[in-house]
Amino acid sequence: MNILLCAKQVPDDAVEVSMGADGKPAIDKIDKVVNAFDTYALEMAARFKEAAGEGEITVLCVGPDDAKNGLKNCLAVGGDYAYLASDEAFEGSDMQGIASILKDAIRKIEADKGIAFDIVCTGKEATDMALGQGGILLADKLGTGVITNVIAFDTDENGVSAKQETEEGYRTVAADLPVVLTISKPDYDPRFPKIKAKLAARKKPIEAVAADALSDEGKAAAGEGNAKLKILRSYEPPKKESGVKIQEESDEDSALAAVKMMTEAKVL
Amino acid sequence: MSYIISEEAQDLLKDVHDFCEKEVKEQCKDYDKSGEWPKEIYDKAIDMQLQSLEIPEEYGGPGLSRVDVAALIEEMAIADAGFAMTISASGLGTKPVLIAGNEEQKQRVCDIIVNGGFGAFALTEPGAGSDAGAGTTTAVRDGDEYVLNGRKCFITNGGIADFYCITAMTDKSKGVKGISMFLVEKGTPGLSAGHEEDKLGIRTSNTTDVVLEDVRVPAENLLGKEGEGFKIAMQTLDQARAWVACVATGIAQRGINEAIAYGKERIQFGKPIIRNQALQFKIADMDIKTETARQMVANALTRMDTGLPYGREAAIAKCYAGDIAMDVASEAIQMFGGYGYSRDYPVEKLLRDAKIFQIFEGTNEVMHIVIANHTIGR
Repeated sequence: MNILLCAKQVPDDAVEVSMGADGKPAIDKIDKVVNAFDTYALEMAARFKEAAGEGEITVLCVGPDDAKNGLKNCLAVGGDYAYLASDEAFEGSDMQGIASILKDAIRKIEADKGIAFDIVCTGKEATDMALGQGGILLADKLGTGVITNVIAFDTDENGVSAKQETEEGYRTVAADLPVVLTISKPDYDPRFPKIKAKLAARKKPIEAVAADALSDEGKAAAGEGNAKLKILRSYEPPKKESGVKIQEESDEDSALAAVKMMTEAKVL
Repeated sequence: MSYIISEEAQDLLKDVHDFCEKEVKEQCKDYDKSGEWPKEIYDKAIDMQLQSLEIPEEYGGPGLSRVDVAALIEEMAIADAGFAMTISASGLGTKPVLIAGNEEQKQRVCDIIVNGGFGAFALTEPGAGSDAGAGTTTAVRDGDEYVLNGRKCFITNGGIADFYCITAMTDKSKGVKGISMFLVEKGTPGLSAGHEEDKLGIRTSNTTDVVLEDVRVPAENLLGKEGEGFKIAMQTLDQARAWVACVATGIAQRGINEAIAYGKERIQFGKPIIRNQALQFKIADMDIKTETARQMVANALTRMDTGLPYGREAAIAKCYAGDIAMDVASEAIQMFGGYGYSRDYPVEKLLRDAKIFQIFEGTNEVMHIVIANHTIGR
């Protein structure tokens, strides 16, 4: 089974982002990490590979040169090969553009290695922009099915069977291979890298994919000039206002005051 | 932390920090209260191969410099000193073999560590603390075996180790030159862990008596030659002192981290208390001491890596880091005021953890003897 993971490098989501003087999020000084949902996808893929006892995981990232660090981390926790699609022509791409670059990069890797990916995994969204579009757009361009918000999957002779998280609970969705899966948070955490695996990963090559690998369709979609989605303005979400503390003379009075406030607010 | 470390170690430092934040720091609060040895945390640490950091590359280790490893050990100590001591004491248990063992012995113990085991070093006895040569444990040659009898005490990892390096008297008439060192593996008949200490601090480490009752070990488990045990033990401690100093430095750094965080958050007289210059100077003093200790650790370890003598430097590092860990932990409590005295806040534990660093691996009084001997000459 050949699995491809699409991973994005994002600012560490544990750090609060503020707006810079240029009106854009000030993220330059924030450490870059692999998107959390992509790490869940990698862990799920690694567990699948280990249970199957065979298969390979290739990790692909579209991003700047420093995204190599994230890719090396992926190689330390289950990834076998890593590719970085990095080119000035890719900068400023919207999600349609990124999906086109990913598709062309996937086709190039498949052609170069003489393989076909059975499963393409990616996080259900990235923690920086939280668009949740990447996997769906990629599946559309690859011409495969897509199962979103997956928290577990397995394969059999009929294809893939995935446990999908819904607002009400879960459901099982089946699809033919090849397929794109967008992965949500499962009930386990990604593994920590073993020391020696981390040191070995630092020495593994990161293959490059440049703009000359793009098809005409990819060239027409990649880059800021081709982006259909424009960010007009970025702003910080309003600060959460502190709650109202109700502290009357007695518990009964406090309860009555709370009910009165809720009635006035038409909550009840 | 201003260790000068390799790019590889900087990369690993982030992983170890992440691991300690998620799996060690908060979890150890409960284990500090219960005194239980947190096996599940150590299992995760082993899964990450943190126990084998000190193993040389040729025996299956990661091949990091000692200063690289120190940065990682300090990160563990910032999270929990007992956790770091378990890892470090395993390195202590391995050192006699790496110093004096033959190739087979070295590979054997390194394989145990790399495969997830722990080591322990057993020198101290109820009647032989600072006077380490006064031990009464004996080893008597019997054909192709030695038969060991005696009781060791205050042995870190005593109840959980997979192998022990144990000193025993092979010739009482020769005093310390009659002491030998033996490699004894877990499960050897007659070897058992005795009384477990209910300690003031580093409560996530395991400290027990090690009891030897007619323990038969093959003669090839002798490390070095008969009579070299005391020398090997002293060489072991010379190295180990830099490592415990590293852990003590981590305790001090945690004290600084906590004091700064609390100082920014605690409002008195309408402003965060950290805006008072008196407290800023307190933090600066804590930092001066901690960084000085760290650089002394780095100096001793760099000398080890480069083949220079390091006994004096390791003793200075150990003595100084143990003392300043106490000072800095105490000042961290002072920053917290009354809350610092409460077990609901993280700094009182630091003082309890720090105290042992003035005692074990040679008391700080013994360190003064060692340093004076190096400086003045015997």
